[in-house]
Amino acid sequence: MTNMDNDSRHLLIPEVDHEINPGPMNIQFDSSDLRSKRPFYIEPTNIVSVNEGIQRVSDHASAMNKRIHYYSRLTTPADKALIAPDHVVPAPEECYVYSPLGSAYKLQGYAEGYGKNTSLVTIFMIWNTMMGTSILSIPWGIKQAGFTTGMCIIILMGLLTLYCCYRVVKSRAMISSVDITTWEYPDVCRYYFGSFGQWSSLLFSLVSLIGAMIVYWVLMSNFLFNTGKFIFNFIHHINDTDAVLSTNDSNPVICPSAGNGGHPDNSSMIFYANDTGLQQFEKWWNKSKTVPLYLIGLLLPLLNFKSPSFFSKFNILGTVSVVYLIFLVTLKAIRLGFHLEFHWFMPTEFFVPEIRFQFPQLTGVLTLAFFIHNCIITLLKNNKNQENNVRDLSIAYMLVTLTYLYIGILVFASFPSPPLPKDCIEQNFLDNFPSSDILSFIARIFLLFQMMTVYPLLGYLARVQLLGHVFGDVYPSIFHVFILNLIIVGAGVIMACFYPNIGGIIRYSGAACGLAFVFIYPSLTYIIYLHQEERLTWPKLIFHVFIMTLGLANLISQFFM
Amino acid sequence: MEDSDSEKKMEKENLGPRMDPSLGEPEGSLGWALPNTAMKKKVLLMGKSGSGKTSMRSIIFANYIARDTRRLGATILDRLHSLQINSSLSTYSLVDSVGNTKTFDVEHSHVRFLGNLVLNLWDCGGQDTFMENYFTSQRDNIFRNVEVLIYVFDVESRELEKDMHYYQSCLEAILQNSPDAKIFCLVHKMDLVQEDQRDLIFKEREEDLRRLSRPLECSCFRTSIWDETLYKAWSSIVYQLIPNVQQLERNLRNFAEIIEADEVLLFERATFLVISHYQCKEQRDAHRFEKISNIIKQFKLSCSKLAASFQSMEVRNSNFAAFIDIFTSNTYVMVVMSDPSIPSAATLINIRNARKHFEKLERVDGPKQCLLMR
Repeated sequence: MTNMDNDSRHLLIPEVDHEINPGPMNIQFDSSDLRSKRPFYIEPTNIVSVNEGIQRVSDHASAMNKRIHYYSRLTTPADKALIAPDHVVPAPEECYVYSPLGSAYKLQGYAEGYGKNTSLVTIFMIWNTMMGTSILSIPWGIKQAGFTTGMCIIILMGLLTLYCCYRVVKSRAMISSVDITTWEYPDVCRYYFGSFGQWSSLLFSLVSLIGAMIVYWVLMSNFLFNTGKFIFNFIHHINDTDAVLSTNDSNPVICPSAGNGGHPDNSSMIFYANDTGLQQFEKWWNKSKTVPLYLIGLLLPLLNFKSPSFFSKFNILGTVSVVYLIFLVTLKAIRLGFHLEFHWFMPTEFFVPEIRFQFPQLTGVLTLAFFIHNCIITLLKNNKNQENNVRDLSIAYMLVTLTYLYIGILVFASFPSPPLPKDCIEQNFLDNFPSSDILSFIARIFLLFQMMTVYPLLGYLARVQLLGHVFGDVYPSIFHVFILNLIIVGAGVIMACFYPNIGGIIRYSGAACGLAFVFIYPSLTYIIYLHQEERLTWPKLIFHVFIMTLGLANLISQFFM
Repeated sequence: MEDSDSEKKMEKENLGPRMDPSLGEPEGSLGWALPNTAMKKKVLLMGKSGSGKTSMRSIIFANYIARDTRRLGATILDRLHSLQINSSLSTYSLVDSVGNTKTFDVEHSHVRFLGNLVLNLWDCGGQDTFMENYFTSQRDNIFRNVEVLIYVFDVESRELEKDMHYYQSCLEAILQNSPDAKIFCLVHKMDLVQEDQRDLIFKEREEDLRRLSRPLECSCFRTSIWDETLYKAWSSIVYQLIPNVQQLERNLRNFAEIIEADEVLLFERATFLVISHYQCKEQRDAHRFEKISNIIKQFKLSCSKLAASFQSMEVRNSNFAAFIDIFTSNTYVMVVMSDPSIPSAATLINIRNARKHFEKLERVDGPKQCLLMR
């Protein structure tokens, strides 16, 4: 018998194509219906791309191909006995379409999820996803923490969440025994912590989603209210000056909460009591009493759609809004100038100290601002050069940090402090501009539209996760879905009416879900993995336990500071 | 044709018990009478349960695996009421306590090859105590008339001691009942071992097995269903079972030169394992034997779905013509001609004439009408 032991393991042998005429084989049948007798032939148009120089399939690969075909005929499809195990089948990027004539074609994009996006696109997508509405609360957060402390905290939190995100990305690679290509981070948690991990990751994920949706509702009512007011005032040519503290120049900045002992209030006082038309409008267009309810009619139907893929087309609005905000802030800063004074520990009439004890509020906001850990794996999957994943992630985080720093510092610094105390910076910094301000009106419109398109997407995600896990079916019935939507919308409306502090909502939900996804799970799975590999050293253990304590402290301090 | 019969039998419930019928046992006990067993020689395929024997048999013999091929088991036999044997059809029926009749083929293996060899599959050292007991009690019958013992070892097995122990007890039985049997050991599932370690591990096992098998001689192969090693091992086994293979090869060479063929292959009929071949120039593809075998077996499976049986095939293109046809009672031949100008009819006539010659060659080798002789 011939000795066939030395096989080349290469799948392709680059070779000069011997087929001068790679057309259908000549058939010497005398058949009237020649087409029915033609052998299997791939039309060139059906092949998406051809590698330069037609390559032949190696004998080893075609033997394997034949073997797999034959074995699949020997059993029922349900039987796993003769299905090729992973270690004998070539990796997805080495799979080719094999024509019986021996030529091999690689289909571009055949291997799903591998390498369609360049680094730039990936970085942009990560940045875009992370830029949420928490950007509006950053200046307030800096104010709560103190300017210097605020800046340091932003940078440190960025680094810390980046490290935890890196742990999340690497967590899948630590699991070698199972096929993990479709796994997202909650699946990894389930692998390590069993059903406790699955349910807790579901719970925390829902906390972040529903928290985001409540924030959205509050903001949307806010923006809708202001937009409506602007339009009304514009139409009726009312030069409306709220009786709130405000600067008296061409770039008005207001301090809505000045007269109310620091509690933000959604009522605006307009001293036109003798104008009944305006009073009527006031009655029907109230930020906390009526506008949130009008939104129900707009958004509740949208939430019931089975598939919100229509809304994902509006993803670009988010980027436009952020870019516009940056532009707006820059312009205002140029016009208002810088007003900074450094007092380290004692608050003054107009300024806040550089170091304040309310800094956990900023860390809470930042936990949500830098949160992307539950979907980073999916975002990085499409990166063309997977080995650049960590680098691209770091660049994206750096850009996000810079954006937050930029907006936060500019708004804080340009806040006109001599007439208005820095304490006036609102949890939504757009609230510091009167509704008659054109630039912020445009910003509000952009954000309103953007949020209205993202809201159904968030609702869809919450629905998929909750109903999918509890009922096993993503859309059990219109009844279930409607109840769920009512609950979510109801929560949003109640918050908008009674507690519209988006800073508060963001920091509580951020610290809560960040506790699991940002701090505890990545560190804990890494510790367990090292322990299984017996590479756990004391410094690593201490460092990661420290991270977990930080997360816990973050959450607890939200309630006390 | 026996091919189609065996294909058809395969498609039914493959619940045939793997119990070897012995001669002269009374009815009503757990033995069966079978006509004409004296002529049939056995190939025993043994090994621990889960070592891959069923898959191996299915792949080599193109048997459709009906996964329900569990043995009868104690539960059914408990309810066994009466036993009837229909000797002319070589089936037997069991009537259980409820009155249901189940019919089983005595020739449970369904596979015969190389003329008079019958393949029997046995799980050695399984967990089923019923089978264990039956195995021990029927040992002599099982190991009588054995031509070949193929023992399959799972390379990943954690119970090496136990495996060797069972292997040795099989060897003892062989020594007692069929001392002339050929022994082959297959170290299976080698694809689960890392590539750089395969040679080492196989050499270790081979040494151990050689040592344990004394005074019997055993040949060892390393196999995996996911590469060409399984086919090569079985082809080697079949090659060693043919006594006059050198003469066959000489004749094949003459035949090939006369008809100006590029290559002539002789396949065993049931398994399409290559018995011998002659090539007059270097062929590029070293895997072609296994590929052809797989292609034809797959084609046979398709044919059997239509209750047709595969007889012959001609493949042509501008560069070559290949003919696959029945040759002798146990073989198929494949002739590859690279001169497409020679008309098919000429080659087919040549093959037909050669057939008569080769059949005479088979018959010359002894009184028994089979390729194999002792």
